[in-house]
Amino acid sequence: MGVDLQYFIEGLTTAFHPMNILWVLIGGFLGTVVGMLPGLGPATAVAVLIPITFGMDPTSALILMAAIYYGAMYGGSRSSILLNTPGDGSAIAATFDGYPMTRNGQAGQALTISAIASLIGGIFAIIGFILLAKPLASFALRFGPAEYFMLFLFTLSAIVSLSKGNMVKGFIAMSIGLMLSTVGIDLQTGVHRFTFGIPQLSEGIDFLVVIIGVYAVGEVLYNYLNLDRLQNKNKLGKIGITREQWKRSKWPIIRNGPIGFLIGVLPGAGGSIASMLSYTTERQLSKHPEEFGKGAVEGVAAPESSNNAASVGSFIPLLTMGIPGSGTTAVILGAVIMLGMRPGPLLFEESPEMVWTLVNSMFLGNILLVAINVLLIGLLVKILSTPPRILYPLILVLAFIGTYTLSYSIIDFYVLVIFGIFGLFMKLLKFPIAPLILAVIVGSDMEQNFRKSLVAHDNLSSILFASPVTIVLLILTVLSVSYPFILSAIQKKRANKSA
Amino acid sequence: MKKVLLAMFIIVATTLVACSSSSSNQTEEFPTTDIEIVAPASPGGGWDGTARAMQKLFSDENIIEENMNVVNKPGGGGEVGWQYLMDQDAHHFSINSSLLITNNLLGQSDLTYEDFTPLGILTTEWISVAVAPDSEFDSGIDIMDKLKEDPTSLKIAVAPSLGNNDHLAFVQAAKEHGVDVTQLEFMIYDSGGDVVTALLGDHVDVATMSVSEAKEQHEADKLKIVATGSEEPIEGLEEVETWKEQGIDMVFPHWRGVMGPPDMTEEEIAYWDDRISELVETEAWQDILENNEWQAFYKDSEEAEAFLEEQTANYEELLRDAGLTD
Repeated sequence: MGVDLQYFIEGLTTAFHPMNILWVLIGGFLGTVVGMLPGLGPATAVAVLIPITFGMDPTSALILMAAIYYGAMYGGSRSSILLNTPGDGSAIAATFDGYPMTRNGQAGQALTISAIASLIGGIFAIIGFILLAKPLASFALRFGPAEYFMLFLFTLSAIVSLSKGNMVKGFIAMSIGLMLSTVGIDLQTGVHRFTFGIPQLSEGIDFLVVIIGVYAVGEVLYNYLNLDRLQNKNKLGKIGITREQWKRSKWPIIRNGPIGFLIGVLPGAGGSIASMLSYTTERQLSKHPEEFGKGAVEGVAAPESSNNAASVGSFIPLLTMGIPGSGTTAVILGAVIMLGMRPGPLLFEESPEMVWTLVNSMFLGNILLVAINVLLIGLLVKILSTPPRILYPLILVLAFIGTYTLSYSIIDFYVLVIFGIFGLFMKLLKFPIAPLILAVIVGSDMEQNFRKSLVAHDNLSSILFASPVTIVLLILTVLSVSYPFILSAIQKKRANKSA
Repeated sequence: MKKVLLAMFIIVATTLVACSSSSSNQTEEFPTTDIEIVAPASPGGGWDGTARAMQKLFSDENIIEENMNVVNKPGGGGEVGWQYLMDQDAHHFSINSSLLITNNLLGQSDLTYEDFTPLGILTTEWISVAVAPDSEFDSGIDIMDKLKEDPTSLKIAVAPSLGNNDHLAFVQAAKEHGVDVTQLEFMIYDSGGDVVTALLGDHVDVATMSVSEAKEQHEADKLKIVATGSEEPIEGLEEVETWKEQGIDMVFPHWRGVMGPPDMTEEEIAYWDDRISELVETEAWQDILENNEWQAFYKDSEEAEAFLEEQTANYEELLRDAGLTD
């Protein structure tokens, strides 16, 4: 697909229609707010707003829903950074260094860098969209069961390798996550696994409940144990970032925009995987990996750039093939069909002006969102000066509300509390949480793809070597697990030599 | 201003009339409170879409004055929502589909249609069989011939679970043609979108899915629909032959209907027959059908009950043939 200048300009003028600018603003703001709340992600926000879009022009409805989506990508990391309670899977990576930055009194700077990184990542992805939408869509099609299995395997191995020095604990956490992901109906056979006759469990344990439980509830419980020692030492710090910080984040932001974008294009990957992979990539490339996890500014910048780019990328399969690339785009697809529009392979030919309007509105929306988010920083950090005795009960309330909105079921409350206690013990015993969560997110897809690829390929080795893509992913997987060992072996040798 | 006054007068007058008539009957006329539509799924799918379309049109078209709300009760392939409906009064109704029948037959649920009050069948989608555009197959019957020779020779994509309509429609067609259906190799995907992706990317040989999911791809030459399970050729797809035209005698509707809680009174059932038959006649409803590629398939409460009975017998046989039940 080349860029048709006429449609591009037409789209630009429609996007700048005052009404559409208003929708971008409303959507962006709503998305930011909803993204901040634990459990209320973009998919829920869009779903709740579907009745409002009924009377709207389809283009405006699409603009509004897209704005909510990437708005939530901006907002999602706010609570990760300030409270260590991510609102969604794609905001988890922001806790790794964002929360330590807050503890170091750099909350304002962490929020600023995350907004800037999101902007640049988003812009990269939009440019990628304009130039590469069609070829990328056909590339994504080549990802079959074997390729997805290897991608998920690589992501898991990368995240386990993060828990350097404590890989055993990382593996244990991951294994528990994989076990949890087997709960529910097995798609390939229809057998109920570990559902104990509870119909609510037949669809599996929603990974968002696990996230809210382990992070939000676990964090509250953990802080409750330390309530007497807890003081408000978290200061806002400066909002403006220093030249040194910019220098350190510049390349991570630029590198990870494209990474996130490409992963977003794959239907079935998405923001969580994009941001996690970006974080691990940056850490391995970094000259001072020891600072990661202790408040390294690039550890905030990289995943933020990546997950926003992924949200833009996930529109490619939707708009070029009518296939939703993420949970949120699936809801958006349902909504626009109700409006009489059918995003599909013909959309680009039949209503190009609509696609270009959307793309241009994303451009505009990203810029507006940075403004919204930077302006909100002053207000947001007030959270930090809220006394813990008020703040933590509030987080608990939000956690329960967020959980209820996922499937309107009381059973999830029990699951939430169980995982809250579980999360508390993980924190007390110093188990890494990320491998557990990621395993819950990808576990079921990974297993189903493995089983499907067994039908297609007969045995394990032909899965591993099914295509160039799987071979590259296999090499990366082996490297990511062995890299820390190789590194320490080299260091030992050097130390021996110098000694 | 005059119009507003007139409208207010009418509202006051009708309320008065309604009140007086109800007082003369000694009982209040149904419905007496807000109405709740139970969508036994999360927002975004066909069940939710049907529920929200009904909610909107009942009020837009002034068919029902009372407030209507949609509640989502996802889980267990409808089980959670329907269990919830069991304990409600006649001001609640739920969307259903063949899962109400198959869940029970597959041993995944104790509920059957007999536990509820069928209020009607609303729509159907037709199910198609599709292949990649460069596939060796040009018709459905070629595929069945190949499978008759060797049932494991083709990988067939279906979503989201075995025992659903997309799966069973294919099984029925194969069975009618004498294929050993217990040997068929299905690959199960999460959603219809994933099935399209798998076919577009050549990861499977054949896919069975609803026409709405395949039609646009077919028109764009991204895939090729080679058979449909409908009675007549489908509008816009006249060049594709139905199974019947290809010599396999079967029609397979993928229907959606509505049902109320157990033990509704005759008046309550009559109320819904009235309102729903009015709804399906509106132009706005036709638009919704068209937008979603659904076909009109209206049956009133009585016809629906007979239909459900017949469907149960049919599914029982199919599931047994497919090797999913004994």
